[in-house]
Amino acid sequence: MIILFSGALAGLIHGTVNFAIVEPYLDQAIGIENHNLFESGESEDTPEFWIEYEGYRTWQKSGQILAGVILGVSMGSLFGIVFALSRNSLPGNHDVKKSLILAGVMWFTLYLIPFMKYPANPPTVGDGETIVLRAILYLSFIAISGIGAILFYKLSKKFKNNKKFISLIGYGVFISVAFFVMPENPDEITAPMNLVNEFRLMSVLGVSSFWISIGVILGLFWNRFESKKEA
Amino acid sequence: MSESQQISVSKSGVSKLAILALALVFAAGLFVVGFDNGHIVNFVFAEDGSTGGIDPLVIHELAHDMRHAAGFPCH
Repeated sequence: MIILFSGALAGLIHGTVNFAIVEPYLDQAIGIENHNLFESGESEDTPEFWIEYEGYRTWQKSGQILAGVILGVSMGSLFGIVFALSRNSLPGNHDVKKSLILAGVMWFTLYLIPFMKYPANPPTVGDGETIVLRAILYLSFIAISGIGAILFYKLSKKFKNNKKFISLIGYGVFISVAFFVMPENPDEITAPMNLVNEFRLMSVLGVSSFWISIGVILGLFWNRFESKKEA
Repeated sequence: MSESQQISVSKSGVSKLAILALALVFAAGLFVVGFDNGHIVNFVFAEDGSTGGIDPLVIHELAHDMRHAAGFPCH
């Protein structure tokens, strides 16, 4: 239960941070989309269009927080599984320290490395025709990075203390090869690059706020409730 | 001179059922936020190809902004 609650809280923080720092960029990008719709004649710049637009944008924006909680519970569940199974092996003498270290590792392997290959994009960039391919590529690279990290961690246990860095180098080589072998995102970026880059920076800050939050919150709850059960 | 040696055996103490339940929550939540494009509404509500007036993309639109912000592919 503390795992689900921690995930929900961290997700709420993630959604709130996104609401504050990412939404302005989403509005800008959707503004470009609307402009393109008017230019191409697909839609007309009428009051009816804007009434419908405001309706679904309100729905999408309100979903930012709710989807943050759902994603938080989801990723928090994965984090909780890994933390529960690896807690005794994690460095540190306090649950918060252990939890933050694991959050850092998972942020790096499951988010930052896949992000460097397939960075977040605002609306207007993605082509609906390629969405299945892009989803497969993104999930595959996350899986490759995550499974690679687990395998090289297990390998590190076979080495003595002063040789453990070999498995770290091994992971670095492995993920570098995967990085260059995996196909590129097929979509061309037609939006202004300053908008895309600023959006990506805000995206990184938002997701990072989640991983820091889940590390602190689950560590605190674990220390408060679970460690006492074990004592 | 005697030498005592302490061997500590630690178990994670996590039930397999709890891990399975959390894994299901992980997969379901990830699909809802990251990848649903009308699948859930069509699966739950569709009868004879109709969703009874419910927009199949309602969940997609709800998760739309978080999907972009969290780095999932979207259009």
